[in-house]
Amino acid sequence: MSWFSRREPASRGVATQTAESGPEVFRSLALPAVLTTLSRGHKLNVLDLGPAIGSNVERLSEFGCKLFIEDLFASKAAVPTGEGRLSADFFAQFLAPPEGTLFDIVLAWDLFNYLDHRELVHLADRLRRFCRPGSLIFALISIHKTIPAQPIRFRFHGEDTDQLIYEKRTQVERPGPRFASGELNDILRGFQVDRSFLLRHGIQEYLYVRDGA
Amino acid sequence: MAWKRSDDLPGHPAEPAPAAPRPTPSPSASSTSAPEPPRRSGDRATIGPSIFIKGDLTGDEDLVIEGRVEGRVDLKQNNVTIGHNGKVKADVFGRVVTIEGEVDGNVFAQEQAVLRQAGAIRGNISAPRVVLEDGSRFKGTIDMEPKERHGTGTGHQAPGPQAAQTAQASAPSRIGAADAGSAGESPVGASRPAQAG
Repeated sequence: MSWFSRREPASRGVATQTAESGPEVFRSLALPAVLTTLSRGHKLNVLDLGPAIGSNVERLSEFGCKLFIEDLFASKAAVPTGEGRLSADFFAQFLAPPEGTLFDIVLAWDLFNYLDHRELVHLADRLRRFCRPGSLIFALISIHKTIPAQPIRFRFHGEDTDQLIYEKRTQVERPGPRFASGELNDILRGFQVDRSFLLRHGIQEYLYVRDGA
Repeated sequence: MAWKRSDDLPGHPAEPAPAAPRPTPSPSASSTSAPEPPRRSGDRATIGPSIFIKGDLTGDEDLVIEGRVEGRVDLKQNNVTIGHNGKVKADVFGRVVTIEGEVDGNVFAQEQAVLRQAGAIRGNISAPRVVLEDGSRFKGTIDMEPKERHGTGTGHQAPGPQAAQTAQASAPSRIGAADAGSAGESPVGASRPAQAG
């Protein structure tokens, strides 16, 4: 069974770096709307495009949702180097939920920063297909010129909260793609910006809503 | 793609049967508590690291799997632990299912599913309560029943076209409220009116 690689020793170093830099707690301004939607009482399908994080699962379990976890960054990293950007075929295989499944909420976290324009277009195509009118996308876009080499890990800070812990997993930086809001809106056509906030640490929160509700 | 498996999901496992009266092997003379359910503490079978089983596993005691199992593990009333060395390619049914090794299949827990730090699941989890420890690896879906219903405590309005219209009108006050109640965060942006797609 080789479908998961064992954790590499380097990851322990990352954890140390995280500990050295210290996680930061902040209050999300867009996430409360997501939580309000979740609390409406009926079971929703939530797509988490980040890694499986215990505290996030714990928080979401309060709402009795069905959580689909697909770590796109990890899947992308598993693609052999030299194949260039991820293809439409990759996304067709990556995002292929059971027949009839539509996502009510998509937690993209800061994944968009780690996709190039074409990859984001492919992802948006899949999200349009598998989101129903009124579905939400929660995304965080860095406005910095450089970003951590790995996605920042966001985790809920305790129960019954809209506070997130912001954890850099590496101090290594890479150029940030910095999608302009107009570019994002074009790529994510079919979704409208419901609300957007620029946070103190240079990350902009976006909450998109699927058209047609 | 683990999601394909969920087509075969039989839904949540049946609720645990009421604790049926059952004589315990050596009841304590001073015990006045209700009869124990079928699970018997201390009765725990282990499948050793060198054992490979292909087929269905059923029984009436807790089980620790340190070897390899392919097929189906059905111990709905008992605890099932996939140990560090355990590699299971099967659907696993148990009361509390703890994974420290690797599972390629669906996990159905009556009470709780626990994925330990060293554990990995490729498949779907169906349980009222799911615990994923940091460092664990999971690919699939988690079907959870709510622990209890309570508000988010945020007081924010759900989004949507109607909410978006409201947001345009009330953005300043919403930002102000968020600012006042923020935990170390100062929003410097503004709520953006909904834009045409």
